Amino acid sequence: MVALDRIDKYGLLRPLLPAREWSRVEAYMLDDCGYGTDVFGTKAEGLGAAYVLAYWLHAHYFRVESAGHDYIPRRSAAVMVSNHSGVLPFDAVMLATDVFRHMDPPRLVRYMVDYFVYRVPFLGTFFRSLGQIPGTRRNFDGLVQEGHLVGIFPEGAAALGKLARQRYELLPFSHGHVELAARHGVPVVPVGIVGAEEQQTMLADLKPLARALRLPYLPVTTTFPWLGPFGLLPKPVRYFIAYGPPLSIDPEALHTMDVRVREVERVREAVREQIRVALLARKQQEYPK
Amino acid sequence: MNDSRQGVRDPGTPRPGQRRVLVTGARRVIALELIERLLDQSRVDLVVAVDPGACPARLLGHDPERLVFTSADLSRRRPVDNLFLLEPCRQKPLDTVVHLGFQTNPVRYGATAHEFNVNSTQHLLAAALRHGVEKFIFVSSDAVYKIGPRGDYKIREDGELNLDPGTHPMLRDTIDAEFLCRAKMDDPRCEVMVVRPSGVIGGGTISGFNLLLESHPPVLPVGFDPMINPTTKERLVSDLLLATFLRGKGIYNVAGVIAGPLSRFLEQQGVKAMRVPGPLLRPLNRIQRLLGQSHFHAGFHPKRLYYSLVLDDSRFDRVFRAHADVLEGAVGPDAPERR
Repeated sequence: MVALDRIDKYGLLRPLLPAREWSRVEAYMLDDCGYGTDVFGTKAEGLGAAYVLAYWLHAHYFRVESAGHDYIPRRSAAVMVSNHSGVLPFDAVMLATDVFRHMDPPRLVRYMVDYFVYRVPFLGTFFRSLGQIPGTRRNFDGLVQEGHLVGIFPEGAAALGKLARQRYELLPFSHGHVELAARHGVPVVPVGIVGAEEQQTMLADLKPLARALRLPYLPVTTTFPWLGPFGLLPKPVRYFIAYGPPLSIDPEALHTMDVRVREVERVREAVREQIRVALLARKQQEYPK
Repeated sequence: MNDSRQGVRDPGTPRPGQRRVLVTGARRVIALELIERLLDQSRVDLVVAVDPGACPARLLGHDPERLVFTSADLSRRRPVDNLFLLEPCRQKPLDTVVHLGFQTNPVRYGATAHEFNVNSTQHLLAAALRHGVEKFIFVSSDAVYKIGPRGDYKIREDGELNLDPGTHPMLRDTIDAEFLCRAKMDDPRCEVMVVRPSGVIGGGTISGFNLLLESHPPVLPVGFDPMINPTTKERLVSDLLLATFLRGKGIYNVAGVIAGPLSRFLEQQGVKAMRVPGPLLRPLNRIQRLLGQSHFHAGFHPKRLYYSLVLDDSRFDRVFRAHADVLEGAVGPDAPERR
């Protein structure tokens, strides 16, 4: 294990973060395979630079309020399951940043990312340098075996393209997270994210064109494509994140489809409950003490 | 794959007695190194080195009682059979075959190379079984694995193979040769083993990564930086020695100690790469080869420069490297290490 002591070779990043946040970055331990990355490809300097940007988005742009961090395991593996929306996955960034900021020692949420990301030049390399890897079963196994927090959006990447009229409606959940959590005996932490649905107002999804371009969706929003790429930038809405009590998955879910469907529904219901908690907090502009 | 099957006796335990080893492809850098390391071991009685060409100068000074070089066309059955009937082998029958005699140059690939690659494996394996060889080791390649954007962070031996009909025919030959070996893996008399090494860096080998490193300059696609864990010539030879001296059969990955992005390996070697958009990669590589600036063939395994391929060799670690003390002189940087 090596500390991230070389993330700021040129001294450019340190002034951009408060001292307390910088010490968190330095406290994060990376299991170095020899050339400054872990076996998943996470780069120390990539993480440091990304955290500088993510911190400012988290603290000042989206002004994230969150509650329930005690439900996140401090050291062991867990699956974090959340709703997904917002055209671009800023909700994933905010969730990971929130966990990193509020856990002691800081923990990195590793997402199971859609494959199309890794086909795109720079984007796939960037995601990997932040420790985010393609969503395959073996990748999940590896992350859990090494005790990581694994983030999964069971609605899939298509949920990013939810229309405005579908706000806070959950799409059907895939079953993979339940099966994998049961196989490894790790808890599922339900998370509700509120705010991402309003960062973009999605009017339509150009599905035929998206299929032709091998993308999960192609959005038409109130600002995109009218303002060009800038139209994809999110509005500065306030985020509310709520973590729920961890759910242990019935191991029978590995053998019986009925049990698996029931467990998936239980997780979905738990996520829906956390969305409700976060929506309530937004209404009151704070979480109940 | 499964060591618990019929015919495997305690994988990882030393094979008793002295070794008499046939090494094919004797002019390859890895083979030369392996032969020399074999001759350093007192438990090796005889090494028969085979290649279609002339004897390499590096092998000339060795004890002729322990090293025999012979030229043979391995694509034909009779010459292969004759290898096991050489005079020194009559008194000391060969008990191990290390098959490195694969034609691995994608540039001059043709029907002859195809016949050589597939037939040589078939004839060697059949002859080895006929002549009571106890261990047959086929050195394959990590290029047999299918890679792409949905890749695993580490690829185990049961990873998906690249059976795409559009792959380079040489790659198809490698997979065919592996299948020939797999078909005989349950033979109770002979331990058939397939070793899939990751690319070898350094030492003048003709592995893809080494050829890439030796290009002037290496040309890489912009926006991609795959994870790799290449091995070294010394480590691969140590692994092959362990495979020779220890029991065990099946398919094994062997890889280097360090996993990291390709760019870091280039930096480490002091090599500066030229980045170009993906569609320009192959035309530029072709021009480079025409100008003699590169021997790397971008069309052989095109996705390799885009997507990660990190081999998981923990199985080989567990069965073989854990017993590295079986080798004489297995200390220092060449000793198989484990991270």
